[in-house]
Amino acid sequence: MPNTGQIVNKYSFTSGIVSFLCISAIVCVLWYVFMHADGVMKLYTPMYGFSLVAVMMASVILMVKVLDFYPFSPSSSEGGQRLARGLILTLVTLALTLVLVYGFFWGFIGKFGVAYFSPDSIVRSGGTGAEPFNARENASTAIIYFSTAFLWWSLVWDTGFVKWPWTDSTPGVRAWSKTCAILILSIITYVICFHPHVCFLFYPPQNKAGVEPWWSGFAGTGSAFFGLGIILCSLAWVVISDLLWEGFPWRFLCKGEEGCFARGLITITGCLALGLFTFVVLLKTMNVYWMEPFEGGQYTDAPYFRYLHTGEIAGFCVLAAFILKGYFNNWPNWTNSFVNATVRSLLAFVIAGVIYVFYYSPLSTLILGKVPGIAQPDDTPLVWTMLFLTVILVHTEFFRLWPMEPNKS
Amino acid sequence: MKRRNFLKSMAAAGMAATVSGGSLAIPGRSNAAGKVNFGEVKAVKVDVLSETSWFNNDILKKNMMDYGGAMTNQYTVPWDWDNAGGYAALITVTTMDGKEKKILLDSGWNTEWMDYIFQEKSNVAEMLKKGEIDTMVVSHFHLDHFWGIESTLKHKPDITIFAPNTYYPEDMALLKEKAHIKAKDKDGKEVAICANDHPHTGKLELCKPEGEKGDGIYQIMPGVAYKVFDVPILLRVRGEGVLYFNVKDKGIVTVTGCCHPGLLSIFSFARQNFDSFKPYGCYGGLHVSLFENWDPKFDDLIKGVKAFKIEKVACNHCTGWIWAEKASQEGIPIVKGTDKFKTYKKQSTVAKTSNVFLTNGDSIIF
Repeated sequence: MPNTGQIVNKYSFTSGIVSFLCISAIVCVLWYVFMHADGVMKLYTPMYGFSLVAVMMASVILMVKVLDFYPFSPSSSEGGQRLARGLILTLVTLALTLVLVYGFFWGFIGKFGVAYFSPDSIVRSGGTGAEPFNARENASTAIIYFSTAFLWWSLVWDTGFVKWPWTDSTPGVRAWSKTCAILILSIITYVICFHPHVCFLFYPPQNKAGVEPWWSGFAGTGSAFFGLGIILCSLAWVVISDLLWEGFPWRFLCKGEEGCFARGLITITGCLALGLFTFVVLLKTMNVYWMEPFEGGQYTDAPYFRYLHTGEIAGFCVLAAFILKGYFNNWPNWTNSFVNATVRSLLAFVIAGVIYVFYYSPLSTLILGKVPGIAQPDDTPLVWTMLFLTVILVHTEFFRLWPMEPNKS
Repeated sequence: MKRRNFLKSMAAAGMAATVSGGSLAIPGRSNAAGKVNFGEVKAVKVDVLSETSWFNNDILKKNMMDYGGAMTNQYTVPWDWDNAGGYAALITVTTMDGKEKKILLDSGWNTEWMDYIFQEKSNVAEMLKKGEIDTMVVSHFHLDHFWGIESTLKHKPDITIFAPNTYYPEDMALLKEKAHIKAKDKDGKEVAICANDHPHTGKLELCKPEGEKGDGIYQIMPGVAYKVFDVPILLRVRGEGVLYFNVKDKGIVTVTGCCHPGLLSIFSFARQNFDSFKPYGCYGGLHVSLFENWDPKFDDLIKGVKAFKIEKVACNHCTGWIWAEKASQEGIPIVKGTDKFKTYKKQSTVAKTSNVFLTNGDSIIF
């Protein structure tokens, strides 16, 4: 692993902390404007707002990790350029989000293919519960699930396969090819892990279009939060290994930085295995605190909540990793890379713990306008976490940390 | 760093994490306290005063959708007054020595509707005036259970009230301070949404989730317990109180407003905490498919109710007709109602002929 010990001396932690505080303030303002129960737009219905944030994050990841900024320039270091580039990329991503939600899902796929992606199509189909509010929530649920599958594949591909098998192709060919491959894999993941749940969001269930959730027999719930939890736990390890471990141990598997098949395959299986292990450990820990959940239980007694909560905790870890990497120069940067990776991981878990405590504290009730308590069916910290992550990604990747100095690690 | 060393270090760290993870025996709520015996009653009768909190789901949902959805603050929405009804039930407890005690559960939403219910469709108003009903339980502070409080207090302002201590300032203002609360519509115009000109003057027992003596419950009378579950609820409400009755030779009966904590979770609490627990029955809103929508977790509940072996499931209000119908089809002992609701001046648009709800005017005896 590279020795990055010299860079740490040049890094200003003060400006990192100030930047982080500014970003946190921006997230608070955005939450108030778009999501807060007493705010302006009140989009946290919850699924509608959740879907917009999920697609926004997926759009940023598409730009950064899949397209590698194509057709824009992948980097810029000048202050004024960074600002202009950041503004342009942010506007493009916002436009892309709106096009994807209202154009692609609601207006195209939902209108001409799979009805449940469009609130209008659900309402038009009639029947029990098919009115605008439910319809929008159900369509949003499907969009959230698809975005999750897309996020997982985008990040794991970028960490594992990197540029393989289009290493020698032009940026344009690579961008389009990667996008198509990731979309195909996302569709398969969505169909297996989430589509059965969405088909059973209607009464009578759409059991000719989707099978009865195949996991319900052993998971104690038909909710796709089962798969969501595993995917998000796995995603946390993708991010941790990519950011905090600087691509190790996957980087051992092929020479150079451009990725290879073996590295991709091992990254996928390794992260899935680590995710599954984390998923089980978190569930066991929750069992110690809340006792065994049971089928039909609600709030903390519900198996589906426990699964979702593993994903929520994983989300806090992902956020912590991005904060550490983006605003604290991935400290520490000592000579021993394994020690670096271990300390960073432990730090990320501590930061995730602090975020967890914050989210369920009275302070968050005051700032985010949520009802105190845990496991509310209409509240998931994933929305706030994803909003925070999106803002961090926009700041670090689009604005290259403007106005602070770019991260040199 | 060499590859082998790195992998060795990873393996060692993984082993250490596994070992420490395995010993994460953090003492939590699973360490239940001793079992509680809160006495017995001979029988419990529940009269459905009104379970139609609103009459048209679509209008209610449009109100919610237009003003922020499930997480919005209920006091900021200019709800459609004509669509408002209310939830209330009259509970008659027969004590072990044969005496009867009446408890009013909730006071609905629209005071015009609740006055009609209390004065024309039942003799609750008279019973309040005469002091035959001297105790009221507020299940939670949702609009459809609490905003019609004036309809009760105008007849008996000094009624003893048990309510969750997880209230918001607006709730207390409505109860005690002659509040007239308004919300702004899309045009910025203020719309009156609730009011009470008869402040409460009696005993108000604000109940903590920990219970009166730390055992989780408040004993209202022998055989009757009130337990507050501190759960976050939609429309910025927090906490719901549930009534438990220990009916001799039958078992535990729960009576709920909305049952936000979850039917099986409240029975699970009883199983963990009550002496000689035996599940018997339930009455009330069960908060399942309240908007007549579906979710795989509603199927989970059907399987769970079967596993808990509850013998009488009497449900209405936020249970959702479709859940009750499906549960009945799958063998859950759903208590059927009658067509009495058709004699009321307004009916729910989702009421069905299957009568799987105990509706307005129906009764059940446990």
